[in-house]
Amino acid sequence: MPLATRNALLALAITVAIIGTIVAAINHLDRQRIAELDAIQSQLATDTLSVETQFALLENAPCADLTTGTDLTSEVSSLGDRLNVAESRLGSNNPEVLRLKKQYTLLQIRDYILTQRIADTCDVEPVTALYFYSNEAGACESCDRASYALSYLRQTYPQLRVYSFDYNLELGALKTLIAVEKVEERFPAFVIEGKRSYGFTDVETFQELFPKDLFATTTATSTKTKR
Amino acid sequence: MTLEILAYPFLFLGLYFQVFMLLTFLSGPAKDRRLRLPGLNTPKVAIIVPCWNEESTIDGTVQSLLALDYPKDKLQIVLVNDGSTDNTKEVMDSYIGNPQITVIHKENGGKHTAINLGIEIASDAEFVGCLDADSFVAPDAMREMIPCFEDPKVAAATPAMSVFQPKNLLEKMQNAEYIIGIAARHALSAVNGIYVTPGPFSFYRRSVIEELGGFRHAHQAEDMEMALRIQRAGYEIDNAPRSRVYTKVPRSVPKLIKQRTRWTSGFLRNVMTDYRDLVGNPKYGTLGLLVLPLGFVAIVGGTFLFLVALASLIHGLVRTYSITAGIPLSYTLLPRFSIEWFYMPMTFLLLMSFVVITLSVSLVLIGRHVSNTPAKVILGIIGYTFIYAFIAPFWLMRSMYDVFTGKRRAWR
Repeated sequence: MPLATRNALLALAITVAIIGTIVAAINHLDRQRIAELDAIQSQLATDTLSVETQFALLENAPCADLTTGTDLTSEVSSLGDRLNVAESRLGSNNPEVLRLKKQYTLLQIRDYILTQRIADTCDVEPVTALYFYSNEAGACESCDRASYALSYLRQTYPQLRVYSFDYNLELGALKTLIAVEKVEERFPAFVIEGKRSYGFTDVETFQELFPKDLFATTTATSTKTKR
Repeated sequence: MTLEILAYPFLFLGLYFQVFMLLTFLSGPAKDRRLRLPGLNTPKVAIIVPCWNEESTIDGTVQSLLALDYPKDKLQIVLVNDGSTDNTKEVMDSYIGNPQITVIHKENGGKHTAINLGIEIASDAEFVGCLDADSFVAPDAMREMIPCFEDPKVAAATPAMSVFQPKNLLEKMQNAEYIIGIAARHALSAVNGIYVTPGPFSFYRRSVIEELGGFRHAHQAEDMEMALRIQRAGYEIDNAPRSRVYTKVPRSVPKLIKQRTRWTSGFLRNVMTDYRDLVGNPKYGTLGLLVLPLGFVAIVGGTFLFLVALASLIHGLVRTYSITAGIPLSYTLLPRFSIEWFYMPMTFLLLMSFVVITLSVSLVLIGRHVSNTPAKVILGIIGYTFIYAFIAPFWLMRSMYDVFTGKRRAWR
């Protein structure tokens, strides 16, 4: 076989092998990402259960000891960031992403309930925002802007707790939350301090939905005391 | 993602060609060429130096030719002044009386006419070479060149060309590119895939020039046209990887674009008209099936990828502006990256680009190594990798525009 022909065929095989290796490496990384999400999710499930147990055991203890909920919130947020990366890499219809997303949504709902219970028991009033979006094409033009504004507010005002939910996720607990909070299928939808609102225009208008004293200070406290 | 997919075919072809070149570099015929010793034979040779307004460089060019390690009675230097309007004539006249040098002044008629006149005058030379008057040869360049012609099928041979004393970043970037060219020509010569015999120090078997006819205007790409004519006639073009020649290159982006527009439109015009039969023709082996078709792909693909990247960039900027409007810049511009592998953007495009860049860098190092070119290439490689891709599309688009509209531009 002439040298040029041999090299042309060999080069084709090597090129295909290199591309195959790259594809395999990316798939491997994606599987590792899923595995890491699984590990974090398991840890968080344990932590959530632990906190709830602690809460039950220390029901009569001083509220100052019940700060674990704040740590949990930061971990939930970290899981959310990682899940976003996995979703953008693997697609929102990937079965594993969907499974983890449902578990993450459950964790968020449990954390939200826990926060509410701490608020009721310890006489504190955390600032929480429920944010409902939709991934369906054309359903929510301003969700990207709303998500970014919420990220900004959450980072700037650490006392703000944001819970984001994919409205169309097939999960019983989420459907119940939507029903309880009476959230309509209009996006983006927010429940802030128990009040529902829809749509996003700009961050200044959006900030008006929050209690004014949230923006009075940026001191990182987890809750504010009820007046 | 949709736009990203459009880049895949071009990346595949780019990677394929690089792998092909590396394999060919490692093949026996390429190794044999690297092991070739400088020639002891000293046939009669002539070097034609066509000049047009080269007053500042012609002296250095001639001095480097006079310093060649070659018997003086076997080396004739023909300086052809192609109607220069500057002080070139006076500089050239200062060499009248040197027995090795013939000085000719003629009306301006184009580079090909100057070379043809020089060849005509050097009637007793067995091999004739050209040297642009802005280029300088290493002392052993001639002895490294001659062994290429031991095989009677070889009609021409190309040198190892790099940039003369690169100073600014643009010159260093071009140097990295030229050194890749050394590796590419060296590898392609092993499979007779060379499609251009560059102006600086390419050599020709005089009998073949006589058989095929002299140089032509060839859309300002006379060196490419001659190479294609040689290939079509069934001869081979070899490469002398240690026959070093250093050439001056454009020092500004507009001048670089002008030069490369000339080269690229010359390629397109020659290959799309007079030499269209070579493209995709198995008779011409690597040249016909790989080099020329991929030359087209590189021109079209380079432009296409640039436009796709530009569209993505504009789309991304508009989207980012829309999303971040109203949010303080202190938050928006905050650098956000994580060293955690989880967040690393390991996409197919990124990894493919990494492989292609790695192979390009290896070609620079190979080119430098095989030619013993004394060049510092790190800055050039960085510039070539990250900046060149933003400049090249302009001459590619300009060339295509010129070819399809029939626009002709001046040489300089």
